[in-house]
Amino acid sequence: MIRRRQLLSGAAIAALACATGPALAQQKINLNVVTAGDQNMVDYIKDYLGPMFEKSNPNVTVRAVGTGPGDAGSQKITEKLSAQKANAAWDVDVAVVHQKMAGDMVREGLLAPYVKDVSTGKMSTSATAKNALGQNVEGFVIPMFQSQTAIAYNPALVSAPPKTFADLDAWAKANPKKFGYNGIKGGMSGVAFVVGWVYANSPTGEKLFTGPYDEASTAAWDPAFAKLKEFNKNVTVTPGNAGTLDMLNRGEISMGPVWVDMFYTWMADGKLPPTMKLALIGPGLPGQPMYYVVPAKAANIEAAKKFVELATSPQVQAEGIVKKFNWYPGIDAQHVKSQLDEKTWNKLFVDVTPQDLQTKAKPFPVKEYFDAILQGYEKKVLN
Amino acid sequence: MKESRILPLVLVAPALVTVLALFVYPLGFSLVTAFVDKAGAVTLTNFARAFEFYANDILFTLVIIALSTALVGLLAVAIGGYLTLGENPAAVAALRWLYRWPLFIPFVVAAQCMRTFLAKNGLMNNSLVAMGLLDPQQTAGLLDWRGIVITFVWKQLPFVALLVAGAMASLDRTTIEAARNLGAGRPRILVEIVLPQVRQTLLVGLVLSFVTMMSVLSVPIMISGESPTMITVDMAFRINNYGDYGTANALGFISYALTGVAAWFYLKRGISGGGKP
Repeated sequence: MIRRRQLLSGAAIAALACATGPALAQQKINLNVVTAGDQNMVDYIKDYLGPMFEKSNPNVTVRAVGTGPGDAGSQKITEKLSAQKANAAWDVDVAVVHQKMAGDMVREGLLAPYVKDVSTGKMSTSATAKNALGQNVEGFVIPMFQSQTAIAYNPALVSAPPKTFADLDAWAKANPKKFGYNGIKGGMSGVAFVVGWVYANSPTGEKLFTGPYDEASTAAWDPAFAKLKEFNKNVTVTPGNAGTLDMLNRGEISMGPVWVDMFYTWMADGKLPPTMKLALIGPGLPGQPMYYVVPAKAANIEAAKKFVELATSPQVQAEGIVKKFNWYPGIDAQHVKSQLDEKTWNKLFVDVTPQDLQTKAKPFPVKEYFDAILQGYEKKVLN
Repeated sequence: MKESRILPLVLVAPALVTVLALFVYPLGFSLVTAFVDKAGAVTLTNFARAFEFYANDILFTLVIIALSTALVGLLAVAIGGYLTLGENPAAVAALRWLYRWPLFIPFVVAAQCMRTFLAKNGLMNNSLVAMGLLDPQQTAGLLDWRGIVITFVWKQLPFVALLVAGAMASLDRTTIEAARNLGAGRPRILVEIVLPQVRQTLLVGLVLSFVTMMSVLSVPIMISGESPTMITVDMAFRINNYGDYGTANALGFISYALTGVAAWFYLKRGISGGGKP
């Protein structure tokens, strides 16, 4: 009997604590940072950014939640916010999302135009900070980082790396099976290569990235796909993004498209010889940012803004994004340069120069064109 | 009296609810979505698209899995046969200890291992070169359909071999001894005496293997990026890149149909065996 009474009083205290929660929140804040992407994104916030923010804001506890890789992860965040639309306060304070979904979120009014209130907002002026696959997102997003695809090659086996897709085509003919990529079903580095191919070999040009979608223009892609089918006869198909890097490492291929951050991370881990190099070939290869966004009715919107301000500050962009993860910074590179030692800066910007990035780093196509490229590849290159 | 009638239902309820909620409902849902378009109207366009894009992949899947199943059957009989009829106790003991290992390795781990083992300059070829059996110029990678078959066989063999060897061990040994007395060799005893008696067990093992392999995504996606590929890869691609559940479910329906044929064999065996699974 006594036990039961103790139990009851315990429950009462717990209930009381719950009831007084909102009042206590004035002092103690749980900042929910929800991120799409791989586990490394969650780790970045949990182990690096979170503790740093908590140190300068002792009343805040940062809670990092991951929603899974790829657009599907961003989709989950969008769905969660849509479901809470009618509520007064949403339980996501800061979200990290992919490009495709960021556009949708702005269109549906799920995001706060917070960039003007954040001092680092002015430091991010790249095209991707304003436009996400055809949707205007200016004022709603700050890129966390830019990731980019490029062609990795082994200089011991490739003396004159190609500068354009046309060079590459000729090189692959002369060196059969020495170029490898992972098709479109085994990861985004292969998808990026196919997008670059269509961009290089079709008359649609920049419209791929800016829209508007015009179905008739996709009919003009047939020669590009026919050429790609021919090209594929001379290449090795690799199993996945990591598969391309593995095969480069084992010397089975001499060249292949990779994500720049993966390339440097593998090199730092000793899984790729330090002699390997990168080339961003013309007319261009796609890359994509991930964005820091703040939901329109985030419960702790002021703390959220402070958090993004820290995350996009030149020091954190230099230390965390560039040095730790080998991504290109989300804010403009000149703000980050002074924070970095020569060696780190050179590593990231020697093979692929800031100029290359300016002219040859492309976004992914607008959704309809993107789908049309993948469908076209399935239908005309694979079948 | 009353309690005894309700109690069994209560006891069965959690299992029943689990099966209904986690299996029957999603199954029905995916079957229905295969036949409706995004607006909800009944249509066959999902199937038309599935065949238009993936006819080769469906055929490829069937061939790969049929081949893997056949190899698994052949090797399982060989292993079971040696465990039953082998005369070198040390070799039998070693085999008995070894053959079960892959049973404890998940598909995704097996695929990851094979990825580095079977590559052109992978562990297998490097070892062969180091032993002087192969010239570095002669090596070829097996990371294509062959890699998928090798991984499937390596992974599923112990399961079927375990069932078959168990059935063989429980046979009445007098039939074997009688054949041996009459001068039959071991291969002949295996094929003519032992195998007919364990046929049902072998078939059940193979059917279960077939169904398991049908559902594996990790192996084809990690071993080979080539085309044609298996339909599990296409299903994942359809969902992840286009959000197109309709076509993915149509492909799923096709794979149910294929496994349905296998399940029919399984159930037929079960009924003729007196209801034993």
